[in-house]
Amino acid sequence: MRKTILTAILALSTAVPAAAETIRVGMSGGYFPFTFTKADELQGFEVDFLNAIGEETGDDIEFVTMSFSGLIGALESGRIDTVANQITITPEREAKFAFSQPYVYDGVQVVVKAGNETEITGPESLKGRSVAVNLGSNFEEVLRHLPYADEIDIRTYESNIAQDTALGRVDAFVMDRVSSAQVIKESPLPLALAGAPFDGIENALPFRNDEEGKAMRDRVNEAISTLKENGKLTEISEKWLDIDVTKPLAD
Amino acid sequence: MNALDIAYMWDLVPVIAGYIPLTLFMALVSMVLALILSAMLAIVRVLKLPVIDRGVAIFISFFRGTPLLVQLFLFYYGLPQLFSFMTNINGVTAAIIGLTLHFSAYMAESIRGAILGVDRSQWEAAASIGMTQGQLLRRIILPQAARTAAPTLMNYFIDMIKGTSLAFTLGVTEMMGAAQKEAAGSFLYLEAFLVVALFYWGIVEILSVGQRRMEQYLGKAVAR
Repeated sequence: MRKTILTAILALSTAVPAAAETIRVGMSGGYFPFTFTKADELQGFEVDFLNAIGEETGDDIEFVTMSFSGLIGALESGRIDTVANQITITPEREAKFAFSQPYVYDGVQVVVKAGNETEITGPESLKGRSVAVNLGSNFEEVLRHLPYADEIDIRTYESNIAQDTALGRVDAFVMDRVSSAQVIKESPLPLALAGAPFDGIENALPFRNDEEGKAMRDRVNEAISTLKENGKLTEISEKWLDIDVTKPLAD
Repeated sequence: MNALDIAYMWDLVPVIAGYIPLTLFMALVSMVLALILSAMLAIVRVLKLPVIDRGVAIFISFFRGTPLLVQLFLFYYGLPQLFSFMTNINGVTAAIIGLTLHFSAYMAESIRGAILGVDRSQWEAAASIGMTQGQLLRRIILPQAARTAAPTLMNYFIDMIKGTSLAFTLGVTEMMGAAQKEAAGSFLYLEAFLVVALFYWGIVEILSVGQRRMEQYLGKAVAR
């Protein structure tokens, strides 16, 4: 308790610009299993990943948690150097920030009741079957854009798509791969991934698009390459998600 | 739905309690600064000091007319784009400055109302025995105004304590931020938010007892 006050007072009296060898990493602390706290200790995929990067580059990693809405503003105004919160690369963001290489490859995933994954092996096998999607997610759009969309019986759910799939009320549900893997790991329901994910998206670390930001990005990129080669990144992914989401989707 | 996980809530108590000092620190510092600032603003308005009075009116209008969250974002993320030195202002400082400016706008109006509530004859009597404007304000008017303003000022202090929960948007982990992060890992949102709500409620209840005592004390002089 006394420490918190002391830190607050210290923080008040001294406004220290970050030393060159400190990477200030912003994250929401609110996205399990990527960033969250347990008994006040920050942990998760992103925490392990950034610490591993720090070990490679020799930089100190300083985590700053703030609500998600503040993260991009904090990056732009130079209060943090990057955001580790599963930030997806989009053309709009690429115009504004210097992204590292992707370290998580996500995509649309078909999930079925365990045992049916030999029969349903991807989006093509959904023809003539019932598929649950969450209301408000863009996965209904994704399914409707498939060339054989008329043959799929799409059911929009408010919640419990995983449970209804496990119960056999629908043949499959569709969600992003990372969340799917997490549901399978965390819930007791008998479910399995059906085939490879499709419609891939890539998540990476955004840095400020200036000299300093790009230099840091280049340093971090090198470290990510090393972590990919020596298997450390795969290890982190399997620790938190049970599967490796750090390899590009094969199409 | 499952029943409440009481054991988990119990585990959270020390975690959240650890952030009480920071929450109180931000609220107390903001309150002291806001009291000073709002008293000055109120006096400017009551005395209708030329030129500054217009400025103060605009200040109050802006800080009452926009949400606290918008002000915090403007100050913390927006202005540094124009003034790069502002990047050195950290989250705790920014939250304190934001709370001070926001609440002093409201408090200035309560204090102004309380000053205007003091009977005109008091001003005239004080002036008739040769007191300067500073003296009559300090000795006669402000002490009486303080008694009338006390309950509403206390209200603003309570609101300020709860306002500190916005500091998490500026990267300051306070009670609410801690609860959000814990809930993210356990998925026990109801439990985590219930614990933090009970903490805020408890703090405000303790303050309310203090408020009653203070009002009794301030009311002594006019008790029948």
